[in-house]
Amino acid sequence: MTADPTPQDAAAAVAARLGAAADAAHQACAAWIVGGVGPALVVRPADGAELAAAVGAVAAAGGALVPLGRGAHRDYGHAPRRYDVALVVDRLTRILEYEPADMTVSVAAGVTVSELAAVLAREGQWLAIDTPLPAATTIGGLVAADRSGWLAASLGRVRDAVIGIGAVTADGVRVRAGGRVVKNVAGYDLMKLAVGSLGTLAVLTDVTLKVRPLPERQHGLVLGADTVAAALGLGAAIEGGLGVAATGVIGGAADAAAVVVRLGGVAADVGVRRARVRELARRYGATVQLDADAAAPDVDASFVAVRDFAASAAGEMVVRLACLPTRLATVVTAATAALARVDGTWQADPHRGVAYLAFTAGGAATAALGDLARTADAHGAHLVVERWPPALASRIQVWHPLPPALALMRRMKSALDPAGVLAPGRFVGRI
Amino acid sequence: MSTTIAPPPALARELAAIVGADGVITDLAARTVYECDGFTLERAVPDLVVLPRSTEEVARVLRAAWRTGVPFVPRGAGTGLAGGCLAAPARLVVGTSRMRTIRAVDVPNRRVIAEAGVVNAEVSRAVRAAGLHYVPDPSSQSACTIGGNVAENSGGPHTLKYGVTANHVLALELVLPDGDVVPLGDGVGDGLGYDLAGVVCGAEGTTGIVTAATLRVVPLPEAVVTLLAVFATVAEATTAVSAIIAAGIVPAALEMMDRTIVAAVEAAFRVGFPTDAGAVLIIEIDGDAAGLAMTAALIADLCRRHGASGVRRAADEAERAALWKSRKRAFGAVGRLSPSYCTQDGVVPRTRLPEILVRIEEAGLRHGLRIGNVFHAGDGNIHPIVLYDERDPEEAARALAAGRDILRACLELGGSVTGEHGIGVEKMVELGLAFTADDLALMRRVRGVFDPEERANPGKIFPTPGACVEQRAPRRQAAL
Repeated sequence: MTADPTPQDAAAAVAARLGAAADAAHQACAAWIVGGVGPALVVRPADGAELAAAVGAVAAAGGALVPLGRGAHRDYGHAPRRYDVALVVDRLTRILEYEPADMTVSVAAGVTVSELAAVLAREGQWLAIDTPLPAATTIGGLVAADRSGWLAASLGRVRDAVIGIGAVTADGVRVRAGGRVVKNVAGYDLMKLAVGSLGTLAVLTDVTLKVRPLPERQHGLVLGADTVAAALGLGAAIEGGLGVAATGVIGGAADAAAVVVRLGGVAADVGVRRARVRELARRYGATVQLDADAAAPDVDASFVAVRDFAASAAGEMVVRLACLPTRLATVVTAATAALARVDGTWQADPHRGVAYLAFTAGGAATAALGDLARTADAHGAHLVVERWPPALASRIQVWHPLPPALALMRRMKSALDPAGVLAPGRFVGRI
Repeated sequence: MSTTIAPPPALARELAAIVGADGVITDLAARTVYECDGFTLERAVPDLVVLPRSTEEVARVLRAAWRTGVPFVPRGAGTGLAGGCLAAPARLVVGTSRMRTIRAVDVPNRRVIAEAGVVNAEVSRAVRAAGLHYVPDPSSQSACTIGGNVAENSGGPHTLKYGVTANHVLALELVLPDGDVVPLGDGVGDGLGYDLAGVVCGAEGTTGIVTAATLRVVPLPEAVVTLLAVFATVAEATTAVSAIIAAGIVPAALEMMDRTIVAAVEAAFRVGFPTDAGAVLIIEIDGDAAGLAMTAALIADLCRRHGASGVRRAADEAERAALWKSRKRAFGAVGRLSPSYCTQDGVVPRTRLPEILVRIEEAGLRHGLRIGNVFHAGDGNIHPIVLYDERDPEEAARALAAGRDILRACLELGGSVTGEHGIGVEKMVELGLAFTADDLALMRRVRGVFDPEERANPGKIFPTPGACVEQRAPRRQAAL
């Protein structure tokens, strides 16, 4: 049995095989640090065939790679156990097939969410997923990191939009699953495996998505509530919004929170819903701080603030808590109480049962995470540490609790990537 | 695979001890009920049928089968249309028909936990008083089970707007072929680890036996409008479909019937269709009451502009029910036209509908057969009905060939060989045309994660070289 190659040896072997396509310049490598670990080589393939060759070369060299798009979500997950090559798909930027009347679009993995949105908008359509940092998020990243945003409860998650994929397996073989039609039960649904797997099972080359017509009218309201319970109660009571989110502050004396409501549809429906939201606000004792068309700058800013919260909120840690929607107010109250001595902010989606907490705990970070884990356990919630300081890399448990099907997931990883080529150690339970 | 196919007599006794004597079927006449599903071309009477009452019993049954090396076939209500629960090559059937408990109805969190044997329609019934419903509505919904729906990732007319079974499953309870019980999914819907529940949906029972599912239920729409539009030709009707989609409208359902089917349906049900109509569209929209009237008017206008001679709006729930009855029972009505018929389940991108309809017509002419069309136009999911006489083997062979020509045309047009019925045993050959050997090898590796010994429903889905059965005649019945 031969020893594992050093990152430099693996990188040299890959570079020798790929020739000009590899970029080992120190600065390029420094730009692709994942979870505190840097690669020894950056490869930016020009198409799917080059991408497959690159994966094959890394596998042959006994190395490991991390698939990357623009890097917006690269710190999500554990630090990779081994990371020799950054496989960056940002040159795969073609819209492969778009027939608006089919309401489907096939795009290469390196197209950004913003670029796709612009193409779709010209035809009056959208990918109804309000993913954070859309200009810096590629479609590959959207799928691999499952960045379903605050519209998920009403319009579906990433897993509901993906109807086909092209991918490269850990041994460098190009494969496809699904197709271009909206209804398809031919063969296994491997799209579901790709969504949220952080590049640990295969590298995406292209994705086919269901798209929707843009709503004729979009409208926003911001409602101020006196307490966390009132904000989440009001948020949960609002039916038929495209998205509803509550935000507030952790620590200090302030218990107040704001509720952001996004409405959409034909003008008549939006008008009726808007009146209902205002009536609910009155009933919950909330003040209407903003009530205007989505095109208004203030409204747009409030939507962007909700969308980008997990990615942009200040603080060295971001934790996601997920629970049954009816338990959300309790979970948020308990979690903010557990963090009473740190400064931060929170955001919650009452219809999805998801809350994000962003805070800086300094030396008390481990203790704070322990408190949050106990809070999660007490309410049947799970937590995901979406952002953490690199110093905690070896100690942190990104996902808690570990899923009961973990053994099966380990078997999945071994079956699809037996040599640990694809982002080894990055996934749940350091798979 | 070194598994014994036939269950030994000792196993029957062991299983009876687990599920009770009334849960084991050994009598030939009683076993014959299980010889096929809705795909009747191939039949195989199982050697043994076992009907566990709980997850625990399923686990013990599978453990016993595992120890003795006997493979098994999971079965729900047997309404599948592709032979997914055919008792061959495995000859032990594990049926979920006695697992009919709805374990939880959680109205505030909008979820229902249903055991595998719960009938689809019962889920909606359980939450109707709370103003909620379970969306996937295959036409067999009064008989088909949740376990079967999960296995086939079933659709229905309302998937156009709301998606298929997998989009409504939050978590599953899976018993692996070795008897291990594994919960898949967090039940919250946030995702935790690989989405194994998503993979098991549509795996046609090849990953083990799903014993329970956590299902998302959603509020009933505030209002529903159902329209009937009559056209002189199928071409006009498909153009109208495109126009509706292009206008940014996503109807809840968008169904088409052609001249042959309209005439048969009218003769059978007297819905009031003009019998000289070349095609009719049933268009259903739902949502808020305020905007719906306007959208309905827009749709009616688009239909007229694309040649509709008449657009009728269902005046009340009774009229709406009559329209849907005509659609959902269209297959039954076809029995008046021909001694036998068979259908296919191809899909094309919806803009290619006009082309696939031409190809269907050509296939009919080429093989000298009449073909009617009733399908989910909004999804591009076609159900051509090939009319033939099964007493004439030569004609039956032509019907089979016509069906295969149509599926190949679907692939050529960028579509799929099955939209909602599954591969089962019926379309294993066609799956091999849709995917490369590498694609299929990857799927088999995924299957191996759940079922390394291929004990769960072996011989289904994946084309095995040399093992493909040459079909002699197409299936006769279908109810979708």
